[in-house]
Amino acid sequence: MPNIDRREFLKLVGAGGVGAGAGFMLKESKKDPTEYLIPYVVAPEDFSSGIATWYNSVCSMCSAGCGISVRTREGRAKKIEGNPSHPVNQGRLCGMGQAGLQVLYNPDRITEPLLRTGERGAMSFEQITWEDGLGQLAERLELLRAARRGNNVCLLSEGTNGHLAQLFESFMRQLGSNRLHHYDFDHPHTLYAANQGFFGQDHLPYYDLQNTRLLLSFGADYLTNWISPLHHSLGFGASRQRQEEERGRFVQIEPRMSISGAAADEWVAASPGTEGILALGMANHMVSQGVYQGADRAAWSAALSDYSPSMVAEQTGVSESTITRLADDFAGTQPSLAIGGGAAANHSNGVDMLVAVNVLNYLAGNVGREGGLLFNPQPAGTVSRPHQASYRSMLELAEAAQQGEIDVLIINGTNPVFTLPAAAEFREALDAIPLVVSLSSFFDETTVLADLILPSNSYLESWGDNFPEAGVGFRVGAVSQPVVSPLYNTRATGDIILSLAQRIGMSSTIPWTSMEECIKDGWRRIYEQGDPQTLAQGFEEFWISLLKAGVWGETTTGTTSFEPDQNIIAGIGVAAPEFSGSEQDYPFILHPYLSPNFHDGRGANLPWMQERPDPMTSVVYGSWVELNPTTAEELGLIEGDLVDIESPHGQVLAPVFIYPAIMPNVIAMPIGQGHSEYGRYAKDRGANPLEILSPQMEPITGNLATSATRVRLVATGRHIDLVKTSGTSRDLGRNIVQTTGDEGHEVSDAGLNSIPITELT
Amino acid sequence: MSLFSRFMDGWRKYRKPGYYDEFDYHWTMTVDLDSCTGCEACMTACQAENNIPLVGEEELAKGREIQWIRIERYWEGEYPNAKLNFMPMMCQHCDAAPCETVCPVSATYHNQDGLNTQIYNRCIGTRSCAVYCPYEVRYFNYYNHHWDSPLDQQLNPDVSVRGKGVMEKCTFCIQRIRDAKDLAKDDDRRRVRDGEVQPACVQSCPTKALTFGDRKDTESQVYQSMNNPRAYKVLDELNTDSSVVYLKKVDA
Amino acid sequence: MEAENNKLGYTDIHEDVVRSIVVTGPKYYATLATAGGLALVCFFFPWFYQLYYGIGAAGMNHPGVWGTYLASFIFWIGLSHSGTLLSCVLHLTNSSWRKAMYRSAEAMTLFSLVVAATYVFVHVGRPWFAHWTFPYPNQWELWPNFRSPLLFDVMAIATYLTGSTIFIYMGSIPDFAAVRDRTVGWRNTMYSLLSLGWRGTDTEWHRLHWAYTFLAVLIIPLAVSVHSIVSWDFAMSIVPGLHQTIFAPYFVVGAIYSGTAGIVTVMFVLRKYMGFEQYITKLHFDNLGKLLLLLSLLWTYINAIELFTGWYSGTSDEYEQLSFKLFGFYAPLYWEMILFCAVAPLLMISKRFRTSFVPMLILSIAINIGMYTERFLIVATSLPRQYLPDAWGFYAPSLVELSIMVGSFAVFTTLFLIFVKIFPSVSMYEVKETMETPKLKPAIPQAGSPA
Repeated sequence: MPNIDRREFLKLVGAGGVGAGAGFMLKESKKDPTEYLIPYVVAPEDFSSGIATWYNSVCSMCSAGCGISVRTREGRAKKIEGNPSHPVNQGRLCGMGQAGLQVLYNPDRITEPLLRTGERGAMSFEQITWEDGLGQLAERLELLRAARRGNNVCLLSEGTNGHLAQLFESFMRQLGSNRLHHYDFDHPHTLYAANQGFFGQDHLPYYDLQNTRLLLSFGADYLTNWISPLHHSLGFGASRQRQEEERGRFVQIEPRMSISGAAADEWVAASPGTEGILALGMANHMVSQGVYQGADRAAWSAALSDYSPSMVAEQTGVSESTITRLADDFAGTQPSLAIGGGAAANHSNGVDMLVAVNVLNYLAGNVGREGGLLFNPQPAGTVSRPHQASYRSMLELAEAAQQGEIDVLIINGTNPVFTLPAAAEFREALDAIPLVVSLSSFFDETTVLADLILPSNSYLESWGDNFPEAGVGFRVGAVSQPVVSPLYNTRATGDIILSLAQRIGMSSTIPWTSMEECIKDGWRRIYEQGDPQTLAQGFEEFWISLLKAGVWGETTTGTTSFEPDQNIIAGIGVAAPEFSGSEQDYPFILHPYLSPNFHDGRGANLPWMQERPDPMTSVVYGSWVELNPTTAEELGLIEGDLVDIESPHGQVLAPVFIYPAIMPNVIAMPIGQGHSEYGRYAKDRGANPLEILSPQMEPITGNLATSATRVRLVATGRHIDLVKTSGTSRDLGRNIVQTTGDEGHEVSDAGLNSIPITELT
Repeated sequence: MSLFSRFMDGWRKYRKPGYYDEFDYHWTMTVDLDSCTGCEACMTACQAENNIPLVGEEELAKGREIQWIRIERYWEGEYPNAKLNFMPMMCQHCDAAPCETVCPVSATYHNQDGLNTQIYNRCIGTRSCAVYCPYEVRYFNYYNHHWDSPLDQQLNPDVSVRGKGVMEKCTFCIQRIRDAKDLAKDDDRRRVRDGEVQPACVQSCPTKALTFGDRKDTESQVYQSMNNPRAYKVLDELNTDSSVVYLKKVDA
Repeated sequence: MEAENNKLGYTDIHEDVVRSIVVTGPKYYATLATAGGLALVCFFFPWFYQLYYGIGAAGMNHPGVWGTYLASFIFWIGLSHSGTLLSCVLHLTNSSWRKAMYRSAEAMTLFSLVVAATYVFVHVGRPWFAHWTFPYPNQWELWPNFRSPLLFDVMAIATYLTGSTIFIYMGSIPDFAAVRDRTVGWRNTMYSLLSLGWRGTDTEWHRLHWAYTFLAVLIIPLAVSVHSIVSWDFAMSIVPGLHQTIFAPYFVVGAIYSGTAGIVTVMFVLRKYMGFEQYITKLHFDNLGKLLLLLSLLWTYINAIELFTGWYSGTSDEYEQLSFKLFGFYAPLYWEMILFCAVAPLLMISKRFRTSFVPMLILSIAINIGMYTERFLIVATSLPRQYLPDAWGFYAPSLVELSIMVGSFAVFTTLFLIFVKIFPSVSMYEVKETMETPKLKPAIPQAGSPA
């Protein structure tokens, strides 16, 4: 070892140190990003490793508008839970809402703007830039606007409300088009019409399930998909959990037991489409028995004369004694509430049926009182609550397209090629439209036919707001904010429209550069109409506290009194339902119902929803058709036998499921499967009953009568093993689910009485 | 102590679940069958919270579901008087758990909070605990599971992802219980209050059919439920001493 | 038997046995290759496939979490029961007819146990941690759960395996010495090592006899307890249909039954293919047949009791188990089991049947098929039908499982084939005990005796 003096030594150490350091740094910089344990020395503002950050937003999985709180860790969304402050869902959330995470992180999301290169539907697209895509579209729109052919532009969107809807309206108006259509398959057109017709109100009332003591539901699956299922579930739960005498009673009237039917204390099977007649039979009984003592009794008596319980019994298949008992209970229990929806509202007599339900509420004195039907106040601020396009409007749109009246169709999130029956020929109509643009995030059946795709952010990556319709009896609004940065090269729907607006020169009326700005501005207006206390805090404070709470409300209530006029009373009546197809050739009535897992099909690309067993049948990853046990026996069919379900307009194939709670001449199929596109989890799986529906309409609204199709069953001789998680769904006397009415079961001593509290000693 | 008294002391402790004289907490869940609508929101919540794998259609066809909480269906009667009763079934965290006695490597044991815990990295996969459980709430990982990217970005970092060969089951969201206990400890070393910790299923239930709490706390909801005349336990005749109390459905 | 062996002398037995070890023809190698090949292809390859991908390769599901792996495990443990147990019992009762066959029977036990032990690794989800079931000191300060019947299993089988190995080895020492004295080269070296320097002195014989008897006395309760403990894997559960006190005697009787049938099969093979016709005679088959008949009657009785308690309980849980077994999907298997194990063995009432070799072979194989079915049914019909009807399922074995099952027989055969070429498969010294002591030729010719 040579002699080294101190200076040399330090030099060497220094060089060595630097060298080592340099080497280390070099190695560090060459590391694969995933090798870093914690990726940032200086982390982005909104996250600290190991600590969750919560964001409030609004769920967009259905139109109920529940408030959500999303737990994020290190910039990734982990769990969607209900926002405890939101009065609609009060901290609770349904499964589909929680599966929103799989919308955000779905492997089949469209990640870039795309331009079609091959034939339409051939799925050949090339990636383009946003500049390019927006530029092309803006150019076309500008041309049309300049040529005063703005009306040849159609914007077909899923249901929206709040400021996005308002933005759509402004945009289309500026363009010179009146073809702004919102189209959700499950929009309750007939309910709106019935409320307009009877109460003269253009928005839905608040149905106070929580405080009612007897709920009569005519077909409405209020726990699963009617208007605001979570709020109704909360009400149901609260009602059940009250003390014994106060416990609410629930009666469900429908030809096929739904989830609400299973939760009900009594399930009454009325012949499909005759629910309204049943309601009027009850009304007749209430008037004739003198329960209703209003001044206009005579008018009512006259109007209801054709609906005596005996006549109604014949038409509905429900016994006279049941009708009168239900009527007596309904009138005698105070408060009571009648609601209508589901298949019952989707017959040719849907509006009349729902008017009959309103009649029941009126006669029993439920209107305007707690536990009954309460009128909602007008929605907040200037936000719009657009009515949606009915089936008839969609047919007219298709016709217009065929006539060459549509040059550009912009689709936002809705999937009419899947949800409209084949008889509507909507897909063919698209062929006649030169430019189809889609703003959707997924390759659903409609988007694969697009020429230009400008993919939107998922709702968890977007700014927005929501004013739930039936709400909670007072004004409620919520802002949704992005919970994560956009994962891909997508933009918020609102931002896309704003960019287009900029390019087309609409800046004067649509001045915002981002959706965040637009929403904030809109809320400023709401803020300005607030009370002095709110105004005192200043807008920024208001905005921050709004985001923190996730919800805003105002306890303005609606009107309480109501008097029907003579004309309305005289016009009360429910015609017999009309069906397509003759009873001889098509002996069964098809009852398609919104699936709890997929709703109208939108949830089919979420693996959690595919893997979750159907609540009533426990089937997973497939479709089925429900048959009454006697019917199945007569046809010689067992579970898993594949049958063709043929209507006058087409056929679908599905395996049989033996269902103990469905009428013998009715067969039911869940809606939601049978996608031909829509990603790896949904594609080519199951059958879509909407395809074969006949184009029957309810005359007033033009609503598709989804439950009016007659079908026949043709056994194919083939058989599959239905994939389901339940074993044998019978208790076999083992007393597993115990009820208070249990008598004569083998019960252990420990089981029947209250359980003594034992502490370990 | 003399040898004999030491022996007797050991014997006495040995007979208790987990050898504890007293639990710190005694977590209990109540299921109100009258309020359960079978909507299965609890199932999705559990799946999201606990990184439950997607087994896929093929595996489900073979019967290999993994559902820490599941809804059982029991039809009663025939058309037109058919009724459907739903029963949520999850690990009952039995104080006299049959599964705890049979695991040869003690991968499942009773902890100081009255929970039946499963230690994934000790499990060698004999599956005898699944055989011994009368409620059949234990699920085995037959394969390593895979999430199509980027679905794996959703995985909860507070919960391990289980590999093949390992048994899993409901833990009453022990990660949430631990967080709540930590918070309570930081906050002046107090006890966790009723309602402060809710497993994912309880939190999401739209009808509030599920409640959760510490039955040592006499003010808690679960304690009140246990005194409800409708209270019973499933398969109580097997003397498993479960920690899940069911409230009978009301026949009205 | 004495009469037949009168003509045989000590030399004959030596020569026959040594020949059976030393002489290996192409037929032997062909058989060994086939057995070994089958073992590799049918047992090891599917097992490695399963190790790599997961237990999902088997047919188990929820709630049928146990399948043919456990059924086979119990079957092989059952087979192991007869050899050593029978050998010990018959030794203590001083029966002479055991002498020719007990060595192979003990070998059968040993190899069945080895195969059964391998099955544990096949069955378990993470076999690379199976050593955690052994109580060794470790830094986590974790011990296995001594309350678990599966752990009793591990202890019992380890003990039985050790005991049987020592037993068979010890009993073979004089024979190793005899073979050592008649072989050269590498065999001589091997047998010198194996015989531990046995010289055949009085003291050594005395010690051997004492140790052998001592072990024999210990092994009897051990064997009974081993299969009782294995039965408690099921009986200590609360699965309806499994939670019965009859299980311990049921399994023990069933084990001895299937083991004895296994011995019959092995005896037939040895007799025919190893040239032991003179040593393994009709008498052996006759006596084994009588034992089998007794066990069959016992087994039938126990099965009837099981049915009776299922019906008598009056509970839906127990009754469903019964009903599923008798009339459910696997009913054909159940009735096949009854036919093979309860009905067909009644043929052995006839002495003519018992002393006919081929019919006994066929019957013994049938009995084992029936016994395997019994174990399979225990697993496949109980787990899918427990307390909660909604959780019922269905279990059917997969191809991997069936292949491993077939392969396990190949593994056993391979081990046995190797055994017959190393161990003297018939106990020379014990057979000699049944023979007349040969008269020695005098060294110096005496007057009057032949030269």
